Amino acid sequence: MNGILLVARREFRQIVAMKSFWLTLLLLPVAFALGPLLATQFEDDEATRVIILDRSQGDTAQAVRARFELEDDRAVLADLSRHVRRYSLEAADPSALWAQHDRWYGEEDVAAFRRAGGLPAALAAIEREQLPDTPKFDLPTPSYAFIDAPSPLDGAPDSEIDEQAQAVLGSEDEESGADLVVLVGSAYPQQPVVRVFANDQPRPSFLTNLQDVLTRDLRAQIMVSEGLAPQTAEAVQTIVPAIAVITPPPGGGAREAVLVRSIVPLALSYILMMALLLSGSWMLQSSVEERSNKLLESLLACIRPEELMYGKLIGTLAVGLSMLLVWLLCAAAAIFWTQGEVEQFIRPALAPVSSPGIVLAIVYFFLAGYVSVSIIFLAIGAISKSMSEAQGFLMPVLLAILLPITILLQAIIAGNDGIIVQVLTWVPLWTPFAVLARLGSGIATWELVGAGTLLAAFIVAQFVLLGRLFRASLLAQGQKPSLRVLYERMRSSN
Amino acid sequence: MAILAIEDLTKRFGDVLAVDGLSFKVAPGEIFGFLGGNGAGKTTTLRMVLDIIRPTSGRLEIAGSTPNRRNAQAIGFLPEERGLYGNMSAIDTIIYFGRLKGLEPAAARAYGLELLERFGLADRAKAKIGEMSKGMAQKVQLATALVNRPHLLLLDEPFSGLDPVNQGLLEEEILRASREGAAVVFSTHVMQHAERLCDRLLLLRRGKKRFEGTLDEARALLPSRIQAVAKESIAGVPGISRATRCEPLAEGWSLYQLQLEAGRSSAQLLEHCTTHGVPLRRFEESRASLHDVFVRLVGDEEIER
Repeated sequence: MNGILLVARREFRQIVAMKSFWLTLLLLPVAFALGPLLATQFEDDEATRVIILDRSQGDTAQAVRARFELEDDRAVLADLSRHVRRYSLEAADPSALWAQHDRWYGEEDVAAFRRAGGLPAALAAIEREQLPDTPKFDLPTPSYAFIDAPSPLDGAPDSEIDEQAQAVLGSEDEESGADLVVLVGSAYPQQPVVRVFANDQPRPSFLTNLQDVLTRDLRAQIMVSEGLAPQTAEAVQTIVPAIAVITPPPGGGAREAVLVRSIVPLALSYILMMALLLSGSWMLQSSVEERSNKLLESLLACIRPEELMYGKLIGTLAVGLSMLLVWLLCAAAAIFWTQGEVEQFIRPALAPVSSPGIVLAIVYFFLAGYVSVSIIFLAIGAISKSMSEAQGFLMPVLLAILLPITILLQAIIAGNDGIIVQVLTWVPLWTPFAVLARLGSGIATWELVGAGTLLAAFIVAQFVLLGRLFRASLLAQGQKPSLRVLYERMRSSN
Repeated sequence: MAILAIEDLTKRFGDVLAVDGLSFKVAPGEIFGFLGGNGAGKTTTLRMVLDIIRPTSGRLEIAGSTPNRRNAQAIGFLPEERGLYGNMSAIDTIIYFGRLKGLEPAAARAYGLELLERFGLADRAKAKIGEMSKGMAQKVQLATALVNRPHLLLLDEPFSGLDPVNQGLLEEEILRASREGAAVVFSTHVMQHAERLCDRLLLLRRGKKRFEGTLDEARALLPSRIQAVAKESIAGVPGISRATRCEPLAEGWSLYQLQLEAGRSSAQLLEHCTTHGVPLRRFEESRASLHDVFVRLVGDEEIER
């Protein structure tokens, strides 16, 4: 046992002394930390600047602005409602619109929201109800900002409007530059044409809302010209059915719930794969180094080949578990640091992996997966005289392991529990990944026990066969062994 | 009691018979030369002693018991192909191997430092193996073989790749180990080392023992060469099977190369000549060298192979 632990300790220390170990160890947390930051940086959170040039002497520009302000308030109301529902803040004012979640907020709702004091009044009410650690409401950025036309454009004759509009679009000036210029011509509505100048294709939502406002206006004018009272014409335009929208609370929907519950198991499966690939390749490197440095005979004079094999496996396992521990500590630190939203998200995500039985299953399949794949890496190290020779054996093995796992993870994310997932669960090489990934979406106990037993039997067979291969290959000389030679080495018990 | 006893040891690799019914014993304090050409079975035998590979048949005992982990801790081994972990320091390497052989870290460190001091590497104790010259690394490897003060020291072609200075150092360590009571078994191609160091020798040819005994016994396997300056009458002296005239000299004298009949000694021949008045001006006996014995028993083709 002492020899095994000595080999394991040396293996661990050698890998930990590598720069690539530390680089890789820190890369994952740094990537996870930088990801959201970079996403925030690249996020287009600036409102689209719009100029409406209304030469029709009517109130079209005002109507367009009012419509977009209404859309902004509708978005605020919808987001506020979701926030209230997520953190169960309805008690702040049960009769408020933002406490009623089962609807698509119409114009009347938005108007009522404004009359009730809008967002400031709502936030004041919520603040009285919410717990100290409840995250603040994140105000959505308005989609559009309406600015006044600069004088050259405002005063430009019709013949120069195009040129002036293009100048405004190309301007970098924060005061007068715009992304969109909407021109309502002087002949409007007799000539119902509105021109939109833009450098890029305008968003469909903008065009849809613009068209809706203009259509309403045109229809109202026609109805009035046909003898309908203006109030009646307006009333006709605003009649809309109430749309009730029934959804589960945030994170509670069937698909969303499965996804949230699968996050931790999927992450475990992914981390197992990452840690295995990294520590396995380091172990492979060290095994090849021992062989190419002609160290093996000296080692085997002191310890048995089996002790060398177990020591290397334990050392690699220790490296992998250390990486996992560091990553989990980073995740815990991130949760503690960000508190609020992440914690709220993590709670349902941890739910499926919090029972002692599942924790036991996670530990078993994680360790078993590690040992099962590591021993393959170890055997490759024993039969290879150089890293390039090792790569020749490694590539097909990696492809055989990784390709199905990639498909598996995508299937789990898509909520697919079909034949591929079933097959992968029962093939020992992929069992650990499949079982870990499926823990969130649900896996029957008999499957868990059956696949676990099969995996244990597979590992025993690996120890016997690959152990023989390891022992027979350590001091073997000559060319790269053929498959037949490898088979014979596995059969031979001497 | 012999520290190493091998009896009718055989090892087959498929159809290849690597070691064929080998038997020998090595006593404590004895320096035992294991001689043979390439592929004679020396390394295979040493690997069986080290329990790296198992014999096909036969018996093998180290200090009275079959090879196991416990008696492996009493063995020191220097392989023919040498190498160490490039990123480990000299002293850490020695401690690592010492601990693999069951030593406490402090004891391994203390004796490791003493060995490095003896080998002139005290100031490089903390230097990494990868930063050392080949000669220095070989000394460190020798230290890993000696750190457990072995009762049985196995050296596989220990002199190969060493410069004359390091060869001298290694010879001194072999003699020191022997003086301290360790049995030393070493395989070699270099006959001078065997002649200088070995108490007894074993010659292997294609896995089979061809000779075992002392250096004198080995040399006695081949007849001595006698050169004499005599007259023609020397050819008729009883006991001489052949007298070859090599060089005629003045006044009827010639230089002869004499070959004796089996069972006759040079002393008997000289006595006969003096008592019977056979004229002699020179009588010179030169015994066969170990190299001659090796070539005769193992064969030129074994050396070249």
